[in-house]
Amino acid sequence: MLPTPYIKCDYETVYEPCEDSFLLLDGLEQEQSFLQTRFRNQLAIVCELGPGSGIVTTFLMQNDIPHGNGSIYLALDISPWALEATQDAQRRNDCQNRYLSVIQSDLTKCLRQNSTDLLVFNPPYVPAEQVPDRPSSNENDKSQWLDLALLGGEDGMVITRQVLDQLDTILSQQGVAYILFCARNKPEQVAESMRQQGWKVDLIINRKAGWEVLSIYRFIRQ
Amino acid sequence: MKLLTSNFLKCSVKACDNSNENFPLRYDANCQLQQDESIDCNPEFLINILERVDWNALVQVASDLGNKSLPPQKPELSPGDDLTDDDLAIIRDMHSLLIQTSIVEGQMSCRNCGHVYYIKNGIPNLLLPPHLA
Ligand SMILES: C[S@@+](CC[C@H](N)C(=O)[O-])C[C@H]1O[C@@H](n2cnc3c(N)ncnc32)[C@H](O)[C@@H]1O
Repeated sequence: MLPTPYIKCDYETVYEPCEDSFLLLDGLEQEQSFLQTRFRNQLAIVCELGPGSGIVTTFLMQNDIPHGNGSIYLALDISPWALEATQDAQRRNDCQNRYLSVIQSDLTKCLRQNSTDLLVFNPPYVPAEQVPDRPSSNENDKSQWLDLALLGGEDGMVITRQVLDQLDTILSQQGVAYILFCARNKPEQVAESMRQQGWKVDLIINRKAGWEVLSIYRFIRQ
Repeated sequence: MKLLTSNFLKCSVKACDNSNENFPLRYDANCQLQQDESIDCNPEFLINILERVDWNALVQVASDLGNKSLPPQKPELSPGDDLTDDDLAIIRDMHSLLIQTSIVEGQMSCRNCGHVYYIKNGIPNLLLPPHLA
């Protein structure tokens, strides 16, 4: 078992690490040698979307995933509180010597196209009437930021769908994406439609969490 | 934000994706820089970075920020080679510029649409106002 980062932040504004976060850590641990081989001897640009508390990106930095000699970590969140928490997690876990930049952004809109080698996303996946609007200022009712961390609109897929639709312009030629789903997102249907668009999609890990079933899929080009 | 990160940031406005001017962003000459000496130089990492970096974009951003000393051609280094003293000097310079230099406060704009983005407390904000999103 790889070590898990020590996380401490204000869970009234930032998503508290839960079963989904831990499933992601376990899935990435399981993928460690696959990733190491895939990116051997080259720079890997790692992008986590929605780092929240920073637990996942810190786990990657701490354990040199994909590999020790050269990963650049970019953590992109819509919430300023999540970005602060992520920087904090880096410090708290002695990862200051890793290359991390946190960026406030709506998904990957600000990233140069086809530059991401490893994309990791635990999205807002809870089905809801709609995706909440972004609070108009950082200081606005802080719990509004937490709604953004959870609610994924119709089927819980509105945000994830945007990323999947752009995947071809986000990932580098060798790029790999790991995305988390809950059963109500109908992940098997989603995976099948991505396969039809030429992606190789594999379920890498799943787990029952309370009354929810969570799963992580890996997407690579055929 | 570390200087090398400028090599991955473009304008968030979708329409600008059709232009070649949305990357790199134009950095304001008054950006406040900071040097962080605590990160050690790892030559292999730097060589891997150089291989991948968009050199023209880097030269442009460095020049925006007042550093006009970068050569127009990307230095050629390959992993596994025995590194000469000159190579090591280049690597140290690159480490100091790309990894140890951060922009802590300032702004940058899109060379296509002119939209201005701010960096505060070391964190760049690339979100768009609702009417542009
Ligand atoms: C379910 S939380 C995951 C947090 C953390 N990665 C974890 O696994 O514990 C989802 C995160 O996505 C962020 N988020 C939601 N919508 C976003 C968007 N459009 N762009 C970027 N980040 C977004 C939220 O602020 C939140 O931090």
